[in-house]
Amino acid sequence: MLNKNVIQDLLNEALVTGADFAELFFEDTNQEAIRVTSKDVSNVSFNNVHGVGVRLIKNNDVVYGYSNDVSEEKVRALVMSLSASFSGDKKEATPLREALPFDNKVKRPMESVPASEKTEKLLALSDVILSHDPRIVQSITQLLSWKQSILVANSNGVYQNDERHYARVILMGVASENGQMQQVFEGPGRAMGFEIFDDVNPFELAKDVAERAIHMLSAQPIVAQEMPVVLANGWGGVIFHEACGHPLEATAVAKGLSPFTGKLGQAIGSSVVTAYDDGDVDGAWGRTSFDDEGMKTQKNLLIENGILKSYLVDYRNGLTMHHKPTGSGRRQNYKFPPTSRMNTTYIAPGKDKVEDIIKDTKYGLYAKQLGGGQVSPATGEFNFSVSEGYMIEDGKLTTPVKGAMLIGKGHEVLFKIDKVADNLDFGQGMCGSISGAIPTDVGQPTIRVSKMTVGGAGGQA
Amino acid sequence: MNTKKWIELGLSKGLSDVEISVSESTSLKLVSYEGKIEQNTISDVSTVSIRGIYEGNIGKVKFEFISDDQVDKMLDKVIENAKVLTVKEPAIIYEGSPSYPEVKVNDFDFASVPMTKKVEDLITLEMRIRNNEKVSNVQTAVYQENTSGAILTNSKGLHLTRKNRFAYAYGVGVFKEGDDVTTAYEFDIFKTYDQFDPNKLADITIEKGLKSLGPVSLPTKFYPVVFSNETFSELLSVFSGLYSAESAYRHLTPFENKVGESIAQSNFNLIDDPLHEKAYFQIPFDDEGVACKKKYIIKDGVFQGFMNDLKMASIFNQDPTGNSFSGGIQTTNLYLEPGEKSFDALIEPIQDGVYITELVGLHAGVKAISGDFSLQASGFKIEQGKVVYPVNMIVVSGNFFEVMNAIEAFGNDLKFDVSGFGSPSVFVKSLSISGESK
Repeated sequence: MLNKNVIQDLLNEALVTGADFAELFFEDTNQEAIRVTSKDVSNVSFNNVHGVGVRLIKNNDVVYGYSNDVSEEKVRALVMSLSASFSGDKKEATPLREALPFDNKVKRPMESVPASEKTEKLLALSDVILSHDPRIVQSITQLLSWKQSILVANSNGVYQNDERHYARVILMGVASENGQMQQVFEGPGRAMGFEIFDDVNPFELAKDVAERAIHMLSAQPIVAQEMPVVLANGWGGVIFHEACGHPLEATAVAKGLSPFTGKLGQAIGSSVVTAYDDGDVDGAWGRTSFDDEGMKTQKNLLIENGILKSYLVDYRNGLTMHHKPTGSGRRQNYKFPPTSRMNTTYIAPGKDKVEDIIKDTKYGLYAKQLGGGQVSPATGEFNFSVSEGYMIEDGKLTTPVKGAMLIGKGHEVLFKIDKVADNLDFGQGMCGSISGAIPTDVGQPTIRVSKMTVGGAGGQA
Repeated sequence: MNTKKWIELGLSKGLSDVEISVSESTSLKLVSYEGKIEQNTISDVSTVSIRGIYEGNIGKVKFEFISDDQVDKMLDKVIENAKVLTVKEPAIIYEGSPSYPEVKVNDFDFASVPMTKKVEDLITLEMRIRNNEKVSNVQTAVYQENTSGAILTNSKGLHLTRKNRFAYAYGVGVFKEGDDVTTAYEFDIFKTYDQFDPNKLADITIEKGLKSLGPVSLPTKFYPVVFSNETFSELLSVFSGLYSAESAYRHLTPFENKVGESIAQSNFNLIDDPLHEKAYFQIPFDDEGVACKKKYIIKDGVFQGFMNDLKMASIFNQDPTGNSFSGGIQTTNLYLEPGEKSFDALIEPIQDGVYITELVGLHAGVKAISGDFSLQASGFKIEQGKVVYPVNMIVVSGNFFEVMNAIEAFGNDLKFDVSGFGSPSVFVKSLSISGESK
């Protein structure tokens, strides 16, 4: 790692051709994956990501360079090569401040835990899945963990390090009967060390994974139709993430691509919808103390009673949009320039009770578990899949259904949310966008959307 | 990098065999917006991967912080990781195949093209799209070039190298008519710079966008469905893991006991061909140093066998197929054999059907293991044998294993995508389409 004086010199040199802003981002990440298949530890791998990303901005134009070679000589050559893209009067970098303290609150960092302790947990979890039912033919459990150490310094005086610890427990079960196979997956993640095993109830989840796989063997393909959809709490929040979160990112808003462009202060959803993106939820998978531009993360109110309150904004898009950055500058690693991204995004709890919402639904779909989804921020069109669902008939849950795919337009669906329950929960995933794949939480209480297009293979061919 | 020294160091630490691969890549990426370059990215990254066998188990590491000291630590890590394994499976580092296929190396140096020319061409691409009267914005326009090289060497004396150079470009147009918004792009990959024709690429993008303006959803029911060559390639890709020997060994594929049995209709032929001339990349050897070769996965509807790596070849007592990539078993260039029908002839018998040209959310809407898929789609309505108007916001659902037995006709328009999956357009008898009632 280069020392602070050298970094200060490099930032000054970066501005000699007239760039307005220069930033150096150093990273060293060590990632470990341990996998148990059935009754054996079948795979252990280690991956180190190490390098520097250099970013210069002038009038909103960006030049970016990255290399795994962080020697002073190499970084200087990179700075020179990038600054040659600009011409103009030399600017001065602000003297670098002192780094602010960060607290990642990790109790047992993974690197301090012996491998045997990790494999013991994974083997026990695998056994819970495998021994649940003779129809379970395979179980895979995995512990993914990484520690990302970063240092970001820029010509505005920011000098900030941070250390992020991530842990994720993957649980998978495969059930098979009469040539039919069903696979169920859970992947709780936390910004934690080994204490994740005390936090996420993995043994209960493992049992649940096995039970759901068995259950899905008898699920019928859903008949395609339009109907009300009740989305269960937790992972159900992926609908808000796709339909609303991505289009609120400055990446889409700054260029006027998002349907929410220019809508601050206006109603963009039903009045029962209040939503936040929070970069600082203790232990949350999507948490960092500081963002990848060195700004302290914060809790951002996005929508209040249906009214749009804020976008998610990074430094560069903030300049274009005349909007304060929201601590949302993120990137997968040094190979990406940062941009506005989500952390822990959720719909705030309402007052309805889940039982009442279901009782109140004459006919519809109860989406208990969701798979992933995708959105096109320009058109607002999104989709997400239901991995475990039940029909609702006369206010009661009936047949299990499979293969349901929900589609809609984000700016329309927000107006169709007519019930919000009081049971906020979260789910974890890797969110992919132009600055790479990053850990994010999605969250919501159980909600009802009054009408959605539901795709499925059931019915008459 | 002194790989020879590192191998010796590994052996001296007690590893019985050591394999090192070093990959080096450089890239340039230009992004244009509103007629100027808004982002210019350059990169230069080397990565070292080491695999080593310790007491019969294989440990592996991959790292970017490269120094002799670090390699020393990483070799210790290989041993540490190997010790954690409890599985009793063959651990093999390869002495090499008897011979390797000849592959033409692309030696075109994209760096020899002046930067000003690349900038000019990319801006031409963006502005030609932008200047169309139905285009409200260009989301992004990108030119990227990549050069990569890799060395694979091991303690059994293997020493193989490969090089790769290519560039690509695309521009995403946002097309608007009234309240209706749609995006369109065409991805073009090229091996020499003179293959880059920004005007033509812009025109294809515009044509695609204009054609899909004013889409409607469709009434929910079962329709005859034609998948474009590009969308059927995507379906082939998401189910390709089912043909892996590891999936069979771990009970993760329904084809586990189906070798020699019919799993598709009798004119369904699925082939993995590392050297296919229409594919973007020709691949002489896999990540373990095994020579790649052409093989049928499904021939005349009958499942021919699994693709493997060295470990699985040993477990199943078979010859290695050369399909070890990125730490797992993957296809090289997997394609569905085309038929004889032109596209027009393919859709000619369809009275009331759907032509699908785009599938969205493949990572979420497919359950590979059960064959079920349910995917957001867009494309065109087919009526009386002709493509008539655009449709979007529909979901196409079915079961892929059933589709493999319900194909009415194969087109003659085989096309590969950049990840090495190829297909002709395919006419499927009947699938569920759900849409909106208006």
